[in-house]
Amino acid sequence: MTKISKEEVLKIARMSHLDIHEDEIPALMKQLNDVLSYAERVKEVTTTVEEPSMRNVNVFREDVATPSDSASILAEAPEREGTYFVVPAILEHNE
Amino acid sequence: MQSLAFSSIKTLRELLDKKQISAAELLQYSINRFKTYDQKVGSALEVFDEKSIQDKSPRSGILAGIPGILKDNIAQEGRALTCASKILTNFTAIYDATATARLKEQGALLVGRANMDEFAMGSSTETSAFQKTANPWNLDCVPGGSGGGSVAAVAAGFVPWSLGSDTGGSVRQPSAFCGIVGMKPTYGLISRYGLVAYGSSLDQIGVSARTVYDTALVTSVIAGNDKNDSSTLAVEPKDYTKTLNGKLRDGLKIGIVSNAINAAGMDNEVVAAIQDAVATLQKLGAQVSTVALPALDYSAAAYFIISRAEAASNLARFDGVRYGLRDKSAKTLSKMYFNTRHDGFGPEVRSRILVGNYVLSAGHAGDFYGNAKLVQRLIRREFLDAFKNFDLLVMPTHPAPAFKFGAFDVDKLQMDLQDYFTCPVNLAGIPAISIPCGFTKSKMPIGFQIVGPHLSEDLIFQTAHAYEQATTWHTMHPDMFKD
Repeated sequence: MTKISKEEVLKIARMSHLDIHEDEIPALMKQLNDVLSYAERVKEVTTTVEEPSMRNVNVFREDVATPSDSASILAEAPEREGTYFVVPAILEHNE
Repeated sequence: MQSLAFSSIKTLRELLDKKQISAAELLQYSINRFKTYDQKVGSALEVFDEKSIQDKSPRSGILAGIPGILKDNIAQEGRALTCASKILTNFTAIYDATATARLKEQGALLVGRANMDEFAMGSSTETSAFQKTANPWNLDCVPGGSGGGSVAAVAAGFVPWSLGSDTGGSVRQPSAFCGIVGMKPTYGLISRYGLVAYGSSLDQIGVSARTVYDTALVTSVIAGNDKNDSSTLAVEPKDYTKTLNGKLRDGLKIGIVSNAINAAGMDNEVVAAIQDAVATLQKLGAQVSTVALPALDYSAAAYFIISRAEAASNLARFDGVRYGLRDKSAKTLSKMYFNTRHDGFGPEVRSRILVGNYVLSAGHAGDFYGNAKLVQRLIRREFLDAFKNFDLLVMPTHPAPAFKFGAFDVDKLQMDLQDYFTCPVNLAGIPAISIPCGFTKSKMPIGFQIVGPHLSEDLIFQTAHAYEQATTWHTMHPDMFKD
């Protein structure tokens, strides 16, 4: 069975926008390797069985605008200016 | 008079209607119970002030004057909504969940916000960023989870009912650990508008209470189609208390899931209690035989993969931009995302997001998520096939009684096995109730599950009620919280 490397853990963490501290890596590697064993287990059945997908139905509604209270939504923002959310600089600039 | 602390909603209704107690007195009583005892239990993250509770509900309706508490992942307008996570510490709900609104319409008094595992991720309520919750039967033990706060508050006699959310057992397992009733309805019976999403193909709001009647009554109030949640079924609300006549339906056929009750790791006392429960059901007239559901053995693995994948997607929205915590020190947007999510999420949540994104990442999604969804369909099929021969199935709720705090710190995966008997029900989208069926020698509660086909809530409640009326487990309460 393939094992997950430290580099892979760090890559997934970056994709997840999660900072992983050095001391957290071993536990996460163990968790991810456990996932692999779960996946192997799931595969045991899926190679021998077929089961058609469940039928999903679309639920439609009229596309009409309904009033909502934008002021209270904006009030939750950590930083805002008028009706905009304010975020730190997107690009790093060297000073 | 019976102690108010452990009175059922049904009894309280009579007392209120006969004016033997006023709604204000009852509310005061409930708030005082929290004040006196919740330091020991830690069930509530917040108990609101009396006046603000009363002002939010009319004085009439099915639940008029009846106090209850909601898990802190269900929105209550104007109240904090934290999911027991630092990332939502400062968040205030700006609308009511549909379930919340329906409870208020019927006069229910919503007294607070109940503690839970952070974002409902856990089986012991230990991952809450704010506090531990103790099991009212033994304060050294966990109440189960993720809805440990909701359930402990009911078991300790602070309120007669509570709402939780059940993704893999988060209503039923704690209810069994604390000796009360917990219901996970059919996927789509109860609107999830205003419930913070965890595993969207599995999540369902459910009720805990000390009796089956009370559980059925509160379920009746919140069930039914909602235009704000397109996953709700086209079901009109109905009164689930109507079929509770203390009898089993004539010719009721019950299947005992043999590979569940004989599973490795089942505690002997739990098995014995369930066997007694089955004997009682037989005495009441049920035709009982065994059935094997082999796919059950794959459900924990499939549940693990699906719940992590869906959690990772759902929790991507917590980024410090529009609401909740933000790291103010970061100079760039990217750094702000990383710092906010590191500081805001606890270790369990971060690890589930990571695992979820791994199983969804390029090259893996088919092997992991796709296969797990296939197993989900397989489990569903097995259940539906079983329901061709049986009206209902009986399974354990939990393999062993409530464990001590920290019992699974070393091997977190063992904790996931807590979901072994509950998560297949979520995977199949079917309803199940957990009801008390005894105690261990050390006086810890034991529960068992009655599982039915889609939208069989009526029959499940009727059967659970008949069993309850033939036993006395629901009349037993933890000594240290008696009046």
